Amino acid sequence: MPLTPGRYFEENMALFAALLRSEGLLLGTAELLDALQSLRHIDIADRASFKTALRATLVKNERDLEIFDRSFERFFVPQAAQERQFRETTRLREERESRLAEAAEELSFKGEPLPLSTEEMLLYTSLNDDQRRNLQRFVQETEAAERESQPLRPLLETVVKGHLRYWHSRREQLSAEEGNGRGEGGGEGGVTRRSADRNRRLRESDIRMLREPDLPKARALLDRLSRQLLRRLVYQRQRSATRGALDFRRTMRANMRFGGRPFLLKHRRRRRSQLQLLLLGDLSASMKRYSSFVLQFFYGLQTVVTNLEMFSFADTLEYLTPALREQGGLDQVLERVVLQGQSWGGGTNIGAALTELREGYSEMLTHRTVVIVVSDTRTVQLDRALPALQKLRERVRRVLWLNPLPPEQWPLYRSVQAFGEIAEMWPCNTIAQLEEAVAGRLFAATTYLDQEVEKDDQTYRHRR
Amino acid sequence: MEVELAQLRRGFDDVGYICDESALLTVYLALRLQKPLLIEGAPGVGKTELGKTLAQVLRTELIRLQCYEGLDETKALYEWNYQRQLLRIQIDCLLEGDRLAEDDLFSLSYLLERPLLKAIRAPERRVLLIDEIDKCDPEFEAFLLEVLSDFQISIPELGTLHAETIPAVVLTSNNERELSDGLKRRCLYLYFSFPDVLRESRIIRTRVPEVGERFAVEIARVIAHIRSLEELRKKPSIAETLDWARALVALDKKRVDGALVDDTLNLLLKNRQDQLLFHRQIGREGVEQLLQQPAGLGEDRECR
Repeated sequence: MPLTPGRYFEENMALFAALLRSEGLLLGTAELLDALQSLRHIDIADRASFKTALRATLVKNERDLEIFDRSFERFFVPQAAQERQFRETTRLREERESRLAEAAEELSFKGEPLPLSTEEMLLYTSLNDDQRRNLQRFVQETEAAERESQPLRPLLETVVKGHLRYWHSRREQLSAEEGNGRGEGGGEGGVTRRSADRNRRLRESDIRMLREPDLPKARALLDRLSRQLLRRLVYQRQRSATRGALDFRRTMRANMRFGGRPFLLKHRRRRRSQLQLLLLGDLSASMKRYSSFVLQFFYGLQTVVTNLEMFSFADTLEYLTPALREQGGLDQVLERVVLQGQSWGGGTNIGAALTELREGYSEMLTHRTVVIVVSDTRTVQLDRALPALQKLRERVRRVLWLNPLPPEQWPLYRSVQAFGEIAEMWPCNTIAQLEEAVAGRLFAATTYLDQEVEKDDQTYRHRR
Repeated sequence: MEVELAQLRRGFDDVGYICDESALLTVYLALRLQKPLLIEGAPGVGKTELGKTLAQVLRTELIRLQCYEGLDETKALYEWNYQRQLLRIQIDCLLEGDRLAEDDLFSLSYLLERPLLKAIRAPERRVLLIDEIDKCDPEFEAFLLEVLSDFQISIPELGTLHAETIPAVVLTSNNERELSDGLKRRCLYLYFSFPDVLRESRIIRTRVPEVGERFAVEIARVIAHIRSLEELRKKPSIAETLDWARALVALDKKRVDGALVDDTLNLLLKNRQDQLLFHRQIGREGVEQLLQQPAGLGEDRECR
């Protein structure tokens, strides 16, 4: 360890903390003090204990564990390795100096080195022999052509510098191409980091662009998210059991037997009336994969959101819920729709689908219904679709539109803007956005409507 | 009552809680620095168990606060015993004695202690286990932050109650949501991953001594193999491993084979999808194959 005794120790620790911070860890002085304090209780010469103590006090996050491990190995280098490293850097430095001297000697004009920067000189020495000779010859020829005064010198400098600049840019270009070719495999770090990265990548990549091998993983991720959300919804329901404000009427009534002394406090019960969710998934060719993802996500929620109806549409409307109930398993149902429905993959007609929905299933459209349309808004007969959506909008509580197009493309489509004026349009082209739209915005506020019901009032009125 | 590291290690061994050296050291540091210990990890890796074990090792009472959404101060901290206060007023009205002072009504005898207050007011150090902290609301977390940083509780009618002794606090989280930085900052951090084959077989041997050494390793290998299926909804926990081991002992088995795993899969995977996944990706043959390979090839790495 590069721990020089005495006060340097604290400095070293502060340096290590700075390194961790530069790697993105949130790390305050308090943590650093904790770390120093913890070291008083362990055998500091034992590398494993030392590392554990620092890790327990400085890292607060699973993600950061790996960063910590890597930084630790880089910073606290064992003695032998440290010496090796030191020899290596010394060697590199000496080599660099000799190269600079060499460059200065070879590129001198009348015994005076050309005024090149250090980078330029290093670049020169890293060129291959032919290129170097070319430059040298050029310098020598210019020198020979030179007469008494030095009018050629500025010209020479410019040419040499320009030459070196050319090689420099050429090299950068090459290394960039190489970098691209290396692809994903280049990163270091173990299995776990890669799997965490993959999950993050999956969450943030465009659902429509997912590659075939990623699909099972993406589905698993989606499944996990919908179960997490589900758990939250269950808790939300439990939470609704906690009491509301004091109900004076019921309190007084309950305490009549105590002579009106309020021993038992009665609280208002909150009754939550559930919303009806109606999902409308666009299954046209361009939307097929995306919609099946979204449908799967909602299908996972079915156990808690009991009143969930699912429809799919392309040129006609398909009612999916009964099939889902009978056969269970979204995959089979979607497969059947593919095989049977002529609608699958055809031209999208949102207007027709919405009209059919309004006419055929009007009992599902109430003031408690939230309609969620999953579509990229591309449709035939846009002019008919707009009034259909408007009419639907008037029947139900809300119309949400999950749009897989990235928001920067929205202004390009007239249909997005037109639909967006009637329905709430949410961007939703990655799994992360889908989760945010559903968990963060839809369920956070509206799945259950809080209604403080004064039950007694109603019975009272009744009796009268 | 200061604990030494060796003492702690012996205590954990005696109780039969097998953990690696760095976990032990972290627990030790949390005790020495008197800081809460936050443990994260997948469900079923022994987070809660660590809290319970700690109470056993320190020979003290375990005070447990199970978090859930909607948990509030009245359930976690204290509540005034309203009925008793009212009764007292009633009695005072009937007896024509000294007038009742208001202070008397808001004294400790009318206070219902909930876990947090109980842990703080205990005359000697207790172990306070705050389980599944990620399930409580952010507001409650903020409130907890205050309690855990100062170990004091302000009750408006009564004043501030300071901790007599600072309890050993263990918080567990399943990572269902990110905890606030403030809370994390107050805690030492420990991440539990599933144990490797060697450690898990030791756990099995300790908890289910009837299992032979070779049998335990086989069980642990099969479990590790099942856990390596990344798409599982729920990976088998250590408790489930132990249940399975006990079941195998009850069935009078001495070796693991493919058919046996197949027949007793219900004990490990409690979900239809997961079972199907097992059949698809591992199945009887996969188990047989695994057991025919020599132990310790590539499966020793800890899986998450």
